[in-house]
Amino acid sequence: MSNARRILDVRELTVRRGDVLELDGISFALDAGESLTVRGETSSGKDALVRVLGNFLERGDSVTGTLKFGDGDARPASRRGKGSIRISYLCSPRFAPLSPFASTVSQLARIVACKQATAGSSGREELRIALERFSAAPSFASLNRKPSELKPVELAWSLLAAAMAQTPELLVADHAFAGLTPTEIETLGRALMDEQERQGFALIYAAQGLQTAAHLRGRTMVLRRGKVIEEGDFDKLAAGQCHAYTKILFKALPRFAATPQARGAQRGEPLLQVQGLDLSPRKRRNSRPRDGITFELRRGAALAFVGEEGSGRHAHVRALLGLDRFTNGRVVLDQVDMSLLSSEMTSRLRRRIAFIAGADEVLDPRMTLWDTVDEPLRAHLRLPADMIAGHREAALKRVGLASHDGRMNVAALSAFDKRRLQVARAIVSTPFLAVIDEPLRGLDAFAQTIMLELLVDLRKQEGPAFLVITADLRIAQALADDVMIFKDGKVIERAPVADILRAPKEAETKRLLGAAEPARPLPPACAEPGELILQLARAPTPFEPEILGIPPAEIAVAEAAG
Amino acid sequence: MLRFVLIEAGRLLLGLLGAALMGAAIASVAHAGDGVLQFFSVWGEQLFSFARLRFGDSAISGLPIVTELATSLPLTLGLLLEGIVVASLIGIPVGFLFGMGAARRAAAPLIQIAAAVPIFCAGLALAYLAVNFLQWPVQLDGPAWFGSAVFPRSLAEAQAALLPALTVGLAGASAVQVVMSRAAATIAREPWRTQLYRMGLSRWDVEWIYVVPQIFAALFAHLGEVMLSLLSATAVAEWVFSRPGAADLFVKSVALRDWNAAGAIMLVFASLTLIADFMGRCAAHPLISRGTVR
Amino acid sequence: MTDTVTISPVGQSLRGLLRTAGWIGLGLTVVAVSLSDFLATAPAGASGIGPILAPPSAAFQFGTDVLGRDMLSETVHGLSMTVRAAIPAALVALFVGALSGFSAARLAVPLALSFRWLAGILAAMPALLLAVLVIGLTARGWAALAAGVSAAPLGFVRAFDRARVQMTTAHWNYAHATGLSRSALLRRDLVYEFRDVFAASAARALAAVTIILSTLSFLGFGAEPPRRDLGLMIAAAKAYYLHAWWTAAFPALALTILILFARLAAGLDEGERP
Repeated sequence: MSNARRILDVRELTVRRGDVLELDGISFALDAGESLTVRGETSSGKDALVRVLGNFLERGDSVTGTLKFGDGDARPASRRGKGSIRISYLCSPRFAPLSPFASTVSQLARIVACKQATAGSSGREELRIALERFSAAPSFASLNRKPSELKPVELAWSLLAAAMAQTPELLVADHAFAGLTPTEIETLGRALMDEQERQGFALIYAAQGLQTAAHLRGRTMVLRRGKVIEEGDFDKLAAGQCHAYTKILFKALPRFAATPQARGAQRGEPLLQVQGLDLSPRKRRNSRPRDGITFELRRGAALAFVGEEGSGRHAHVRALLGLDRFTNGRVVLDQVDMSLLSSEMTSRLRRRIAFIAGADEVLDPRMTLWDTVDEPLRAHLRLPADMIAGHREAALKRVGLASHDGRMNVAALSAFDKRRLQVARAIVSTPFLAVIDEPLRGLDAFAQTIMLELLVDLRKQEGPAFLVITADLRIAQALADDVMIFKDGKVIERAPVADILRAPKEAETKRLLGAAEPARPLPPACAEPGELILQLARAPTPFEPEILGIPPAEIAVAEAAG
Repeated sequence: MLRFVLIEAGRLLLGLLGAALMGAAIASVAHAGDGVLQFFSVWGEQLFSFARLRFGDSAISGLPIVTELATSLPLTLGLLLEGIVVASLIGIPVGFLFGMGAARRAAAPLIQIAAAVPIFCAGLALAYLAVNFLQWPVQLDGPAWFGSAVFPRSLAEAQAALLPALTVGLAGASAVQVVMSRAAATIAREPWRTQLYRMGLSRWDVEWIYVVPQIFAALFAHLGEVMLSLLSATAVAEWVFSRPGAADLFVKSVALRDWNAAGAIMLVFASLTLIADFMGRCAAHPLISRGTVR
Repeated sequence: MTDTVTISPVGQSLRGLLRTAGWIGLGLTVVAVSLSDFLATAPAGASGIGPILAPPSAAFQFGTDVLGRDMLSETVHGLSMTVRAAIPAALVALFVGALSGFSAARLAVPLALSFRWLAGILAAMPALLLAVLVIGLTARGWAALAAGVSAAPLGFVRAFDRARVQMTTAHWNYAHATGLSRSALLRRDLVYEFRDVFAASAARALAAVTIILSTLSFLGFGAEPPRRDLGLMIAAAKAYYLHAWWTAAFPALALTILILFARLAAGLDEGERP
């Protein structure tokens, strides 16, 4: 160990909240300039650790153990009060961390001033200086807007700048880059590392995915149900020298497959034909229209629109599906020219299109689980009740929701359950096209893997064409055959996914690829569908299937089959 | 801000136009039996007159309605103003008291139990307490004995004026407290309150710099609702305590089928609510800070 | 100063308990109204039953009024009159107000906004004065309809605005994108509006129209003698209640309890003043 100053020493930290044991006697130490990525699924205890270290315990928290910050004395972890070192907190822009009623700059400047016990103007200046250190960050003037007017990545940069302006000795990052695209995570992660090297602060980063850990240096600590399963150097853990649970956690990460999985149905006749679709406004009569995009999607095939937010993917998809009008180009869907249809007829055509989005708000929270799945059958096909029940049960069984109470409101479901419910709804509607928009956003690692498996299974069984919208080329590889790379509203590159991964041509494509590929090699992913479930059944440490919503009966079946 | 004010002003003008249409229609009721065309013709004439603030003569007294309003409206506005003062003095502190803190927010709706008392019952109860426990000289029947004065000129008049003011004020306070508690409960669910605290602001800063302005903004944004409560309470208080204000005149006009007066007073009351709503939304806009009014 | 948890489980349980208590109270009130002829010891308006203005006693638990009528019997009959007028008035307010507003929001935008504008004008007028106007234009016997119609505009506006907000939600747009027709969406929303909000809206409407009806009677625009509801009873007692508090107190208490039950059943989340 180097002569770096010991910043944090945690001993036998236990956190209880009511009857729930969130952390069970964990101990670790951190030196200045060191990074520790705390990895765990939901209810692993990392949230409790963040609360304790950040000194914002909540009512109901019962804490034992000791904390020692810097050169101070070890104190009981339950005792609130200022520590002897400067601690900053960095959270994700997706948490809506700022008041929507005041400008971003004013709030962050106030935070900086408050933490540094200086005047507001001084806080503004410190924030500006910190922001200017990041070449990729937006300008200080552009942040003088409400948080809702900023893109998530702009907010992430401003939050990072505010944290850095406080010159922390310990930075507690709480899923700080969650919900951002791989390229954004890569850029922000690199900036964070550079700042750490410059300022020498210790970093604790609580995360769900291991992607961030792959970008950050330092150790990784894996938590499960309040206990430390493993702690060690990231490279060692990634190389497979780790606990069975950690191995499976690594394996559950989406990553590029060495040998792509066999795809579903053979390609059929054209389903979607697009000619010269150009969404840019035609400026003047005399100017020539730009070339729009032209492509064809056949039945059973899969195409991915890949690009950053604001690159034009969603705008094009909305135009293709008749949700937004366009004037330049021609779209033929299921042999029908969309421009000839009224909005009502277009709406009827969309009944054969399934939408699966990585946002939980797309499902009506008032509806029950059963109603959500039944609705396409009832409203579009007008099937009798017993047939509806049969289809519904089959769909819910396929996605692993059959054991849930069907009368439960959607609002009471977890994010993973809601995502699977969308797949179940897609199954019953027997779509000819499935539009899949960032399906893994906000899910834990295991849940991401299962979600991908479900989508692959959907394509295999029901055979719809896939139109995938994502910023992550790994997802594109898992779900699509061909890729179109978007930037600034235009398609800059298109090719089969294997060609894109092997030999990307455009700089943007290379950038997207580089961000998706972790800096260090990871163990091979699960090779066969369902392997994860079998692995869970065989692992020496007992796993509670509730993590994944998989009922014990299914695990038993998997064990027997294995 | 200017754009917002102009849009709201447009809404106000549309609203006032609608109120004028309604008032003119009421004033034309007497001609409803003369046929549809005749009715619409009279309606148009009445609307034109209303636009020039000519409301005609009262069918009861024969005096110009403007004169009647000049006598009665100040009493109503005086009572309204007194009620606003009481509502502010009681409602705003109570709104904060029950808006801050989860436990107190849970208890806030219990205040609605007190607000379940109808206004006229509350007025009569206050009069009973004043007469029997404080020995105040309160009269509920007969002509209003403080004459046409808007504000009391003696202790006895003050004592008598306090009761209707309290009646109106308590109704207004209830409305104010509901709006503030509702806003506080909505804001309490927002994640930014916790996150700002975690990022380093003190709870005091979070509450007083970011939360309290939003509660006031909600109060301003719902000023129209509060004004409606106050106007209703004023109408009842005038009747209970025999104050010859505009609401009392409205009731008598309807009873005696003086539709000109009824239409004019209707226009005045609707305008008060619309103007209060306009002013409230404009006052709320900067506090909500270039965002949507809730 | 504040907590991170907004409504604690205890708070939510308390609200649920209060809501249940409200519905039970309304149920008991309806039962009492149905059995009013049995619960009251004297017919409605029967005078000379006891001494004039006798205070509450063992013989006359609520005392007697200026005509020697048993106040307990009169209060029961008055409550019955009030409730029998309030229920249809609440239904009118609900259908003309909340349900119409909810449906109107889904019309074509110009038409929807026109209805909203019209309802907004009517809602700008205190509901009590609007009810007085309606009665003046029709007849005193139409008090229930007048109360319902006057309470409707505010309900219309609130339901309309709530529906318009719903139409901007992600799930509404998602459902629309998947081909659900507007009528199917309206049906879906009405089902959930019915299930989740209808009961509370009905109770809230009941509280509002009860206040309006009783105040109308107090002002002389509601119930006509000899059939007296609670408002008319209180108006009649105004001349002498300062010295005979029971003549107004018990009808006022009955009225307040009825309104309180309705407010509790509605969930107490919004105050409602006509």
